[in-house]
Formats: sequence, structure tokens, C-alpha cells
Amino acid sequence: MRRYKYFQIITLTIGLASLTACTKLNQKLNSTLTSDEATNSFNAALFLQSAYIDVGNPWSDLGNIFALEEVTSDECLVPTRGGDWDDNGKWRALHQHSWTLDGVDIFLNMFNALNKIQFDATNVFSFKPDASQVAQARFIRALALYQLFDLYGQYPYREPGENLLNAPVVKRGDSAVQFIINELNAAIPDLPAAAADQKNVASKDAARVLLMRLYLNHGAFLDREHPTWPDADMQKVISIGDTLLNSPLYSYETNYFHNFDPNNSQAKEAIFSCANTSGVSTNNTGINNRWYATLHYNQYTPKNPAAGWNGFSTVASTYDMFQTNGTPTKRGPDDTLIDKRLGGRYYPGETNISGVRPGFLIGQQYNEKGQKEVDRKNPPNLLIFDPKISADLKETGNNLELTGIRVLKYPPDYTLGTKSCDAGGNWMVIFRISEVALMVAEAKMRAATPDVPGALQLVNDLRTARGAAPLPSITLVNPANVYDPLTLLAERGRELYWESVRRTDLIRFGVFLNAWEYKQASTAKYMLFPIPSQALASNPNLKQNDGY
Amino acid sequence: MTIQRMLAKAVSSLLLCVLFTLTALSQTKTITGKVTDDKAAPLQGATVTAKGTKAGVSTGADGSFSINVPESVTTLTISSIGYATQDVSIVGQTTVTISLVSSTQGLNEVVVIGYGTIRKKDATGSLVSVKAKDFNQGVITSPDQLLQGKVSGLEIVNNSGQPGSATTIKIRGNNSIRTANNPLYVVDGVALDGRTARPTLDLSKGGLGFGPTPESNPLLYINPNDIAQIDVLKDASATAIYGSRGANGIIVITTKKGTSGATKLEFGTSLGTFAGYMKNYELLSANEFRAQSKANNLVQDSGASVNALKEITQHTLTQNYNLAFSGGNDRGKFRASFLGSRTAGFLKKTGLDKYLGNFGGSYNFLDRHLSFDFGIIAGHTREHMSLVSNTTGAGGNVLSWALNWNPTRAFQEANGLWANNPAADFSIPNPMAGIDAFTDYADVDVVLANISATIKILDNLDYKFLYAINHGAGTRNTSIAGWLGGVEGVSGKGFGALSEAGLTSQTFTHTLNFHTDLTQALRFEAVAGYEYWKTDYYNQTLGATGFNTNQDQALQTSIPYYNFLQNASTQLPLVRTVDPRAEIQSYFARVNFNLSDKYYLTATMRADGSNKFGKNNKYGYFPSVGAKWAISNEDFMKGGGFFDNLGLRGSWGITGNQEFPSGASLEQFSSSAFNAAGQTNVANPDLKWEKTTTLNFGFDYSILKNKLYGSFDWYHKSTTNLLFQNSAIQPAPASIYFINLPADLINKGFEFSIGTTLVSKQDFTWDLAFNISYNKNKLTKFNQARIQTGKVSGNGVSGVLAEAIANNQPVDVFYLKKFSGFDQNGQQMVADTASYLGDPNPSVISGLSTTLKYRKLSLVLNLGGSFGNKVYNNTLNTVTNIYPFSKGQNVAKSVFGKGEALSSAAIASSRYLESGNFVKLRNATLNYAFGDVGKYVHSLNVFLSGTNLFVITKFKGFDPEVNIDTNNNSYPTRSMEYIPYPTPRIITLGLNLGL
Repeated sequence: MRRYKYFQIITLTIGLASLTACTKLNQKLNSTLTSDEATNSFNAALFLQSAYIDVGNPWSDLGNIFALEEVTSDECLVPTRGGDWDDNGKWRALHQHSWTLDGVDIFLNMFNALNKIQFDATNVFSFKPDASQVAQARFIRALALYQLFDLYGQYPYREPGENLLNAPVVKRGDSAVQFIINELNAAIPDLPAAAADQKNVASKDAARVLLMRLYLNHGAFLDREHPTWPDADMQKVISIGDTLLNSPLYSYETNYFHNFDPNNSQAKEAIFSCANTSGVSTNNTGINNRWYATLHYNQYTPKNPAAGWNGFSTVASTYDMFQTNGTPTKRGPDDTLIDKRLGGRYYPGETNISGVRPGFLIGQQYNEKGQKEVDRKNPPNLLIFDPKISADLKETGNNLELTGIRVLKYPPDYTLGTKSCDAGGNWMVIFRISEVALMVAEAKMRAATPDVPGALQLVNDLRTARGAAPLPSITLVNPANVYDPLTLLAERGRELYWESVRRTDLIRFGVFLNAWEYKQASTAKYMLFPIPSQALASNPNLKQNDGY
Repeated sequence: MTIQRMLAKAVSSLLLCVLFTLTALSQTKTITGKVTDDKAAPLQGATVTAKGTKAGVSTGADGSFSINVPESVTTLTISSIGYATQDVSIVGQTTVTISLVSSTQGLNEVVVIGYGTIRKKDATGSLVSVKAKDFNQGVITSPDQLLQGKVSGLEIVNNSGQPGSATTIKIRGNNSIRTANNPLYVVDGVALDGRTARPTLDLSKGGLGFGPTPESNPLLYINPNDIAQIDVLKDASATAIYGSRGANGIIVITTKKGTSGATKLEFGTSLGTFAGYMKNYELLSANEFRAQSKANNLVQDSGASVNALKEITQHTLTQNYNLAFSGGNDRGKFRASFLGSRTAGFLKKTGLDKYLGNFGGSYNFLDRHLSFDFGIIAGHTREHMSLVSNTTGAGGNVLSWALNWNPTRAFQEANGLWANNPAADFSIPNPMAGIDAFTDYADVDVVLANISATIKILDNLDYKFLYAINHGAGTRNTSIAGWLGGVEGVSGKGFGALSEAGLTSQTFTHTLNFHTDLTQALRFEAVAGYEYWKTDYYNQTLGATGFNTNQDQALQTSIPYYNFLQNASTQLPLVRTVDPRAEIQSYFARVNFNLSDKYYLTATMRADGSNKFGKNNKYGYFPSVGAKWAISNEDFMKGGGFFDNLGLRGSWGITGNQEFPSGASLEQFSSSAFNAAGQTNVANPDLKWEKTTTLNFGFDYSILKNKLYGSFDWYHKSTTNLLFQNSAIQPAPASIYFINLPADLINKGFEFSIGTTLVSKQDFTWDLAFNISYNKNKLTKFNQARIQTGKVSGNGVSGVLAEAIANNQPVDVFYLKKFSGFDQNGQQMVADTASYLGDPNPSVISGLSTTLKYRKLSLVLNLGGSFGNKVYNNTLNTVTNIYPFSKGQNVAKSVFGKGEALSSAAIASSRYLESGNFVKLRNATLNYAFGDVGKYVHSLNVFLSGTNLFVITKFKGFDPEVNIDTNNNSYPTRSMEYIPYPTPRIITLGLNLGL
């Protein structure tokens, strides 16, 4: 029995000892790093790259910033086609200016996405960046803040290292605009100089274009219903613009669509772009959405026939602004068209693979063998894109897959042969030199002492490069007809169509609320998008925009 | 561990008995006998005690026993788990034969609670125990299916008809507003992780339009034939001992153990086959399709007549073989079992192969002062999956293709190849080609092992140490051939992927068990312990697209893409996630008082430290108290009262839920790609467990000489500090972050069960058991903007959400635009804004089972029903809606004749909200008990069983009992239906025997 006594004592001791055993319960994250670990292991360059990557998708995907800047404008719409593209009516609401608070999911998605860019750019400051990295982070943050202010009329702002559980301040009005201007001015000295092979780097020139946009829109941003264009701002636009226009780095491409095609990384017009690599999905912005979203289901490649989504379209009046008589009917390299920006031409690497001809897709569409494409009905219709869209944007007729002119601004990447390339190599272009020229032209016309001939010269130089006839005269805008071809607004449309600047233009030109194709006149509240309820609830410093 | 403890008690009482007999040798007599069950089969392990003493023995393998009792004893009490305890007179006898009747009311049954066992009649908590003999029959791939319809307040929904897929289990309603809502599974004292090592694969990545595949079942590796009983713990008195993991209820699985005596062999086999869809999906037949085409001037008759829904199914035989040995002596017992099964899936090329071995035992040393218990399950499964996924986009999947297939179009061309050019003559991929081109299988190897040592420190004090490991490793091979026509991301390219996952969780438990009689009448029992649990998980996928081979149907190589990833032109980056290690360290204690078998009190306390919680709240405390008044044991109720048993129970307690991502309380930085890094979440150091406070009152009753019995429970559960993914305060690194929301999620309801023996004749008995429960779920004090969830999938509904989490509404309430008919153009009229339109949570669930027995023939019927919820029919909304008809696709018959134009848009609205009410005949089994045949064969049973024989419902889809995971931003969803793997009707023929 004595043995048992020891046994009992030992086991009791072990048992009691085990009851008091203890681990510290520290977290082992395994595939992520704690902030201490990150400070030791990650350098600022990695954080800066995150900010660059963040920019890509919001600008590339047609369902993101594009939807807010273009579908709400006179040059883009997405009709509901029978069983497709209803999507809770959001596309119709955007084009007809009938959206409601939280009625369109893009409002929240973009509020979060743009603020994430702000966050990631600001985070660079906390990881011992050098002066150039600080400056680049400031530029990227300024771009996000500019876009937030443009869409929502206010933006939250956090200093580096702020406690994320606290609601940050919100900037609005002139101080919001001045803040971004000051940031850019502070960044420019330390930003790298622009280089022909580094269009994806935030250069001094990239910051200059954003500054020009801010000065040009300054008066409109402060009172969107009654925009003004103070002379001081216009002079800034002209002087900064002249610097860029005189730079030997930039010139007009002879082939307009080279600015957007899969080899556009060193296009001579580009000032700032987001990089993509053909066939590499890492860091890809999803540029393929640019072509999937507009091409008909039966277009694309013979091996991947169902790749098109048959959605985004434009309208006859936008097409007519180009004042062309012919429609593209030939497949060969010859054409009868004047303005190259309309496209419709044979494009090597595109037309020979899938039959598509970049630009405006109107009329009969062909495959790579020159055979006429058809739609999905049985018996099928010929795939003839018809400019006429149903008045209520709900297509229910026999031709519901065919209505609407399509716009293929980014020629699809078929680099990997006939297999479609989901990870397209086309770089997403954010600023181009032609926008600079048009901003300078506009500032000259809006200056206290207008210089209309100087503006017309800039416009006609551009038109000549595009193979279009010079305009005899030019005015800023025709409030009775936003599509009036002899206006600067129209020239901006012809040059910058589907580049996510149209809504801002229409507001600055004072015609955003007008009636235009498939839209009635709308009320002032549509000048801004609503602050999404979830954002409003989490930050009491945000104020809901009027009317929502 | 629980059975071992019972055995230990039995053994110790045996010892006492021996001591007693030694000191009182001159005054004893020896009684021998045999105990059998009601089928006259010997009953091993039954306890025989002399009434009025503590002396007792267990019966051997042949049911025989021999007991020495004092001369004064006149009655023996015989008890055995699963059987009614019986007294037998021994006046003037030395040999007795006792036939025990299986106990349907089970008050003397032992139920397994956390870290111990208790007699059902002594339990203060609300718990339900289901024994092996009451389990559902048929093709059972995982143990949760054994319980469907058996337990009040327990809702089990199969997420998919794929064999081995996960189930959604809710005990007393929707307890949380996050996805992790399943109960905690405890197998032989070891809590499972709840995840599996089957690699997850999201087929919406890499350019594909299919969604993620449904999850696999974490209980797949438990052999259903090994299970002795399953206990469902519902209220806080029963669950609080599991602390921060107890809020969703506990399902305790106890496996069969060996018994001392001659080695026994059990063998069972079954063969199963499909007998069509449980419920047909009403599409246009070929002739109806022709007629409608003609009426609408569409040229889409290709001349043939096919039935795609039939073609995609198979009739492969399901085979199941089960073998178990068990035996032992006074030093130890063992049981070994083996299972080999091939469960065919209803859809072609799908199925589940399962090979499981289980070895367990218990051995004692040092005169029973030291004993070891162990159990090892080693398993291998191979799951063949189909192209049926959760939130498939506009391109559809094999099932939508089958639904939409033009029924006049033959699947094969004259040359024998699949018709495969959608663009040319019809507009969807060929479902048969889709099945042919798709290969996806997962191999998972699992070891679940535990060993425990129990040391008897004093006669009434035991110390026990348990170590358990659950390790799984899975690989998954996926290939979609590029020759398959008309599929975005696949056609002309092909897709291949290799995925891997690993899951390891370990448990270390130390417990001290103590019991004593404080006074003659007051018995005291206590358990105290320490537990440490940790779990690690990783998953990775390597994919590629753009292959040079298998791009032409006629020219195929035999090398699947997953063996050949380097051949592809586009390599998708390896995506690997290693979850943060989750650790829990716990201290717990429970005390039980029993005063004269009339008044019971149970109190528990658990302190859980979890590394998931924020640094300011590492520890959570979970108390509970339960009491019971056994009124029928009061003197004033004794002797011929109306109630044979009446016990009143009440309990209160707090349980927790910590199922949120590890690391959520910390700032995390991640390398999102080779050249970038960023912060990925918002830290919240104040994060703590979610707290559910449960109040429960109930009573157990039995009347009419125990012929009518059951229980009633009323409960009120309030969940606060809801772990909630709040909108991050922008600018932020993510759109959401975790907080403890000060809202209150209320679940209240009641449960009622009744069992009765309607007829009890010599040759004929008729038993009936019925349960019904009512639950109302409501989220209150939710002062947040409404959160929308419930993705609607398909063409024309991008970004549309059908459900919401909102104040004063049930969780996941349907939030949709109201449909008000068709206008003169046949277009749908739908409200401009959404409103709250119905509850996806059933308010009433019910089960009925009845057993009719005539001599050796018995018939068991199990019906289940669920009422009061709506189901969103997303399939009808976007797959079988009228619009695809004009493109030459088949659609639901129900959409015609209502004035809807063929061009009608696919609009998500209340039109597709359908009643989820149903009554199902889940199972019918006809069994013939041959009993002993010849000299060697014992207990031969032959059965014929039918599963899912019919359903009565107004729901238009395959099965109203459906839950496709359509979460948005990880907010959970309920009762969303979207081209699910359909539910088949299954017929099984089987036999069981013992040697």
C-alpha cells in the first residue's frame, strides 16, 4: 500500500501542476505579419507598390469609376436586354439620373476602393520612405482624393498612423480642393522626372496633369450648379499645360488606338498609366473588362465565343458628333472614314484573329474569316449593331441583343494566340497629352481675356493628327445641344470618349442636368452621388449630400 | 472517456461487492441467469445489482451472469444502456432469465455531457439522446444524417446532394449574424475543429465564371456504424461547460466500445441505388417545347427528344461494407471496425469512396488504479465532385445547362462526339460534354486519435489526462478540358488546378473527478479541469490556363491538366493561405448536488482564454446553473399517481461564440504579391467573445405506466456583443473590421416531444414518437445601416442582393422589390424600392417517427417537416425564367400561360420568393429480424430502406430544404436556392449480422 501512497502523491502533484499550466495565448499569424514584424521586414517600396496596384482596378473595370463618370453621361449607357443587364435597374438609374441612396452598389464600392488607395498611400509614410517615395505616395493619395471629391463632394482624411477606430476629419469645400493642390505642389519637387519607359510611375508630369484638372474644375467643384472659372486658375492651367505640351516626351500617335492596344506601355501620348503584363494575373487591373463588357456574346475569338457580355453601348448622337458620312463596311485596311478616332479599321493582331475592328462598332459585324456574325436567336438575326435604343432603356424586341453602338476603345489582347487572354497586357491609361492640350484650349477660352484662336489652333492640331478636318470655328458649349459638333465639349468627347472624364466635363460645362439622348432633364441633387449609408453611419463627420 | 468512466464505476462497485461478500460470506446466496433483449439475443454488459445493496455484476458476451447476494435480498435490478431498467424477484429461485425491453422513454438512460456522463433523469439541462437503434437508415455518409428529424429544435439541412457535403445545423435557431453557426461536435470527449482538410477551390478565380464548390462535411470520418449514441445539448446548463464554443449547442458523439467476454464480430452490408429525383423539376418536355416554339414562331426544333435532367444522372450502385470485432477480459476491452464504401453520386461522375478503420480500447493496470483508453480512426476518402457550385455566374454550370438544354437537340452528333458548338446552333454548353470535360476529385487522409490515462487517486477521486490529435491532409485535382464549347474562361484554353490543404488540431485535457455522499441523502459530484486546444490550417491552389492539349474533342490525350500544369501558357500564381493558429486555454468546473433523488442542482463555470480575442479581453467567463425538481419522487406523488415521472427543470447560463477569423484583433500586414505589401485589416484590441444568455424551463413527463412520455421546454436566448463585421471607418485598409456590436439577437421558442406505445401485444407493437419546435428569431437594438447579403446569381442580376440584416427583423430577412404582375406588354411590374418580405428561418420544425412491429417484421417511417419560412428560387429567377426560351433553351413549364412576354427581363423580386413549407418522408425501412440462425450467426437482420421517398411542398425547385451559401462579404445567408445538386430518392437493401 505504501507504493500506492507515493503513486497517489505523484499523480496528485502532476494533476494539480497541470491545472495551473499556462500558455500566453499569443497570436501566431502565420501568413501575415504583425505591425512590429512588418516594420522590420517590409520596406516602403513594397507599400508604395500596393498603392500603385490599388489604382488599377477602380479605373479599369467598366463597373467602377467608369460607371459613375460615363454611364451617367451623354455618351454611354447600358440597356437592359431581355434576361440580361437588369442588375437591379442600376444601369438605367445611372443614365437616367434616377438613382437613390444605396440604390447602386457602385457608390459604396468606389467610396471604399478610393479610400483604400488613400489608406495604402498614406501608410507608405510609416515605413521610412525616401523623399521620392513620399512624393509618389502623395501623388497617388491626391489622385484618390481628387476622385472622391469629384464623385462625393467631400472626403475623409487621415494622417499617417491615426487610430483606425476613430472617425477621421472630413474635408469639403475650398479647403478640400486647396489641400490636394498643396499636396501636389509639395510633391512635385521630389517626384521623378517623366520617362518614356516609365509611364506607370507617378512623375512630375503626372502630378502636373492632376493639378491642371484641379485648377480647371476648381470653380465647378465649389458650386456645381453655377460653375465659375477664375482667371487665376485658368492661367495656372495654361502655364502648367504649356510645360507639358513643350516636353519632347509627348507627341500624338499616328495610330490613335495604339494608345490603348496591348503594346501601349510606351505610347507617346501617355503621361500616367497603370501597368499590366499580358498573361500575368498578378497585379493585373482586370483590363479585359474593357472589351468583355461591350462585345456581343458571339464576338471575341472563335475559340472563346461566349466571352462577350453584350452590355455597354453608346448612342447615335455621340457617333454623329464625328460628322462622318460613311459607316465602316470594309474589312480591309482601306477605309473611307476621316476621323481615325472612330476606328472601324482593320487592325493587325485583332481583326485577323477575331474580326473585331477597334473603335465604334456599328452595323454588321464580321468574324476573322470575313463572315457575317449573327446573334443568339434561332432563327438568328445578323449581328448588325443598331444605334437606336428603346426609349426606356429596356430592350424587349426581336433585336434586343443588337441595339446600341459598341465602343471597343481598348483592343483586346490576343498576344497568347487565339486563346483569349483574361490577363490583358494593355496598360490602363489615366492621363494623356491630348487631354492636356484640350485643357489648355479650354482655359484659353475661359480666361479673362479669351484666346479663342489659340484654343482653335490647339484643337485643330489635334484633329489634324487624328485625320479629321479642322474645325472652322469653336465655342465652349451649346447648352441647347450637348452633342453640337462645333464645341470644345464635343471635341473633348471625340478625343476622350469612354475615358472616365465625361461627367466632370458636363458639370463644368454646365449641362450635366440637361436632357440628352435617353435622359430627361434632371435635378441638382444628381450633381453628386450620395454618401453610402454604411459610410455615413461609421463616420459622423461625413454629411449626406443634399437631396438624399 | 465517458463510457470508460461508467465502466470504472461498475468495476469499482464490483470490487466493493467482492469485499462485501468476503466479509459476509456465510450470509449470501448465488444467483445465476441470463439477460437478453426483446429479440431474445443475449445482452452483454448489462448491470445486475441486488436491490437495496451496492453489489453488482455485468453480464458476459452470452448474457449470463452470476452474482452473490445477501440472503435477505429478494429482488435483482437489471439495467443496460438503451433498455428500461427492470426488477426481477429471486424469491425461491437461483436461476433467472430476464428479457429487457428497449427503452423508448429513456429516463434511466445515460446521457453524455461535457467531461462526464449523467443519468437522463438526473440531468438539469435540456438535452436529447438518440441511440443507435433509432438512427435513420439508408445511405448515410456522415453521422449528422442519422439525426435528421429526431430531435426537437434541431434543424439539419443538406447543403448539397453531393455525397459527403456539409450540412447546415441549427440548434434552436439562428444564433449569430456570421457564417459560423454550426454546433460544436464532440467525439468521445474531443471537440472537433469543424473544418475539413478537403482543399477549398473557388472556380470563380482564374477567369472562370463558376463559384466556389460547396463545403465538405467535417464528420465524414466517423463511421456511422461505430456510433453508440448521439447527445444533443441545447440549454446553457448543458453547454456552458464548453464555454466560448458552446453558444450554438453541442452535438456529442459517443462511439461503441468493446465489452468483456468472447470476441464478437459484427458485419453489415448494404447496396443502394437511385430511384429518380425526389421531386421532378417541371420543364417543358420535347413535345411541349416544340409546341411552344411553334406558337411563338421560333425555329428551334432540332427533331430529337431528350431529357437532360435524366441523362445527367446515374444509377451506379452504392456499396457499403462494415466489419467490427470486439472483445475483452477483466484487464481490458477492445473494438476494431472497418468500413469500405463507395457511395455513388446522383449526378454522373460524382461519388464518395470511403475507407475507415477504427481501433479503440481500454486497459487497466495496478489493480485498476491505472487505466488507459484509446481510440484511433484512420480514414481515406476520395470525393468526386461535379461542376455544381455555389454562386455560379451568368455562364451557369452543368445543372443549369441541363435545365436549359433544348430538349429537341440530341446530345451527340452523328460521329458520336458531343454536340459542342453552342455559338453555331444553340446557345448553351452541352451538359453531357460538361460532365465529360470536367474532372475534380479530392483525396483526404485523416487520423483522429486520442489516448487517455485515468488514475484512481482515491476511491472517489480520479485524475484523467487526455491527449487527442485530429490531423487531415488533402489534395485535390481539377481539370476542365479546353475542348468544351461555349464556356468563358475554359473554351479554347482549358483550366487545371492542384490544391492542397492541411488541418491539425490537438487537445490536452486534465480532469479531476470527485464524488461523495455528503449525507445519507445528499450526493455530491464534481469535475474540475484544464484544457488546451490548438488548431492549424492551410490551403493552397496552383492553377493554370491555356493548354496545348485536349483542345479538340476528337483528339484527346489521357493526361489530365493537373498532371501537366507546366504545359499551360498562363500560370496562375500559387495562392496559399496559412491561417493564424487558434489556441484556447480553459479552466472549468462543474458540481452536481442530488438530494434524495428529488432536488438536483448543477452549476458550471468555464474560463476560456483564446488568442483570437483582443489583448484587452483574452479571457471570457461562462457560468451556468440548472436545477431540477423530480416531483414524481416526492412522497405525496408516490404510489399510483397520475404521473409515473414528472420532473421540472430550470436553467440559466452564458455561453460564447468565438468563430471569427483568428488575427482579427491585430493589425496585420501581408504581402499581397511579390512586389507589394500592405496592411490588410483594422485592429481591434477590445474584441471579445460573443455572449449568449439562455434561460430555459422545461419538464419531463411520463404517464400511463410509462406508455406516454416526453418533454417540454421553453427557452429564451439573447445573444449580445455580436461579433460583427462593421463597415470600417474609411480610409481604411479593408472595407470591414470586427467589432462586438451592442445589438441583441433574440431566439425564443418552445419544444415539445411525445412518445407513446399505441399497441403493445405479444406479436404486434406500434410505437410513435413526435416532436415539434417553434422558434422566433429577431435582431434588436441594431442601430446600424441595414446590411445586405444573399447574392442573387445569374444573367441580369449582377450585384443584386436578396437578404438583409436589419433591426427588428429576423436575421437574413428577405429584402426585395415587390412584384405586382405583368403589364400589357407582358413585362414584369416591380416596385422601385425593396421592402422586407419574409423570414428565411423556419418557425416550426417537426419530426414524426413510427415503428410497427409484427413478430420479426418491423416497419419504421420517419417524416420531417419544416414550416413558416420562405425560400428564394434563384434558379427560376435566372435559369428557368422565360427569357432563355427565345434563345432556344428549355425553361420551367410554370412560366408559360401567365401573360409574360418572352423578352421579359430577369429581375430579382418577390415573384421568386416561395413558401418553404414541406413534409418529407425522409426514410422508410422494412426490417426482418431473423435473430439467431444456426449455431454461429446471431442477430441476422435484413432490411429494405427508402430515403427521401416523397416531399409535399409548393416549392417549384428540386428541394425546399436547401441552403446554398450565397454570402456577401461573409455575411451569412439562408434559404437561398440556386441550381443545387439535386436530391435523389434512394433505395437500399442491406443486412447485418453478428458472429
